[in-house]
Amino acid sequence: MKETETIFLSLINQHKAIIHKVSKMYMNDVEQQRDLFQEIVMQLWKAYPTFKGKSKFSTWMYRVALNTALVYFKKDNRKVDKIPLDENIDLIDVIENELKEEKLAYLYKAVQELNSVEKALIFLFLENQSHREIAENLGISEINARVKLNRTKEKLQFIIKKNGYEF
Amino acid sequence: MVMNFDDLKNEWNADGAEETNISEDMLKIKQAHTPIDIIRRKMKHEFNYQIVALVLMAGIPYFFNFSTNMKMVYMVFYAVTCGFTAYYFFKFYRFYKNSCDMSRDSRKSILWFFYEMKLNIELYKSLTYIIAFIGLAFFAVYLFVEKASIFTKIMAKLSTTYLILNCFISILIIGAITELWAWYYYGKHLKRVKKVVDELDFEN
Repeated sequence: MKETETIFLSLINQHKAIIHKVSKMYMNDVEQQRDLFQEIVMQLWKAYPTFKGKSKFSTWMYRVALNTALVYFKKDNRKVDKIPLDENIDLIDVIENELKEEKLAYLYKAVQELNSVEKALIFLFLENQSHREIAENLGISEINARVKLNRTKEKLQFIIKKNGYEF
Repeated sequence: MVMNFDDLKNEWNADGAEETNISEDMLKIKQAHTPIDIIRRKMKHEFNYQIVALVLMAGIPYFFNFSTNMKMVYMVFYAVTCGFTAYYFFKFYRFYKNSCDMSRDSRKSILWFFYEMKLNIELYKSLTYIIAFIGLAFFAVYLFVEKASIFTKIMAKLSTTYLILNCFISILIIGAITELWAWYYYGKHLKRVKKVVDELDFEN
């Protein structure tokens, strides 16, 4: 058991960026991001016996992490998700000198206006997944994945533009 | 500032993991928060309450000083209630122990959540109906046996239509309370999962 735990922790630490990114995509508030992060880690650990090594560990992680985020709910029903970009200036202030990080910070804020499936689509797109891989991960047809992704990208563009960026 | 998806992709991929290390403590930190885990926890609490209720119910004949005949009738009803409860508890226990394979594709995983939750909420409702009707039936028998004289007088004064109407309204009230309670206690979680299923199933 101890050995399994050690192997699991080593694997998960190599790919923890995936969990961080999913948490930030799905939760706006830092406290809730931390809770979701822990939840994903726990669900990954619970599901680890099902990992047979047929796919890459990271591929398996994408699925468990996204599925957990899709059905994860906090008691207060994620009210913070609806905070408009401009009201969360402090986060932007901290990183205002880092233009690149600012772009990502705005992206994280903008995706809060998407629904949970749209967040999953954008996440997988940013992770360089093809339409076929996105379709396989979400369990939808490839055509549907392509159309949904295009619409979601348009929606995201609109949100970012609405908040004062050129896109 | 100008943004485009290629830029965002590059910056996204360049964004490394934060410093926090995932330790073994994190594997056992807290209770799970998926809707199915919430429902499982609630069902576990209800299981405990119902065990306490069944134990207390065993004392009712002595508390209300039932006659010997009435005690026998009560024990039959009590045994039937315990039998149904045990059957449903066995089903709930299997649901409680059954875990979802989260590594399947999202649609399969979420549909699994949805139908497992729906099935168990329906089981929960049917158990509530059964117990409510057993309770009502026992109450009717109690009136008929223990309070026969008063019961006959009341029955003589009331028309058949009025009695049937009363039974019908009672059933409706039991139904409404059960549905509302199940909705309040479990339904809102089901609704949230259904929303994700609909979002996935939505064809453009």
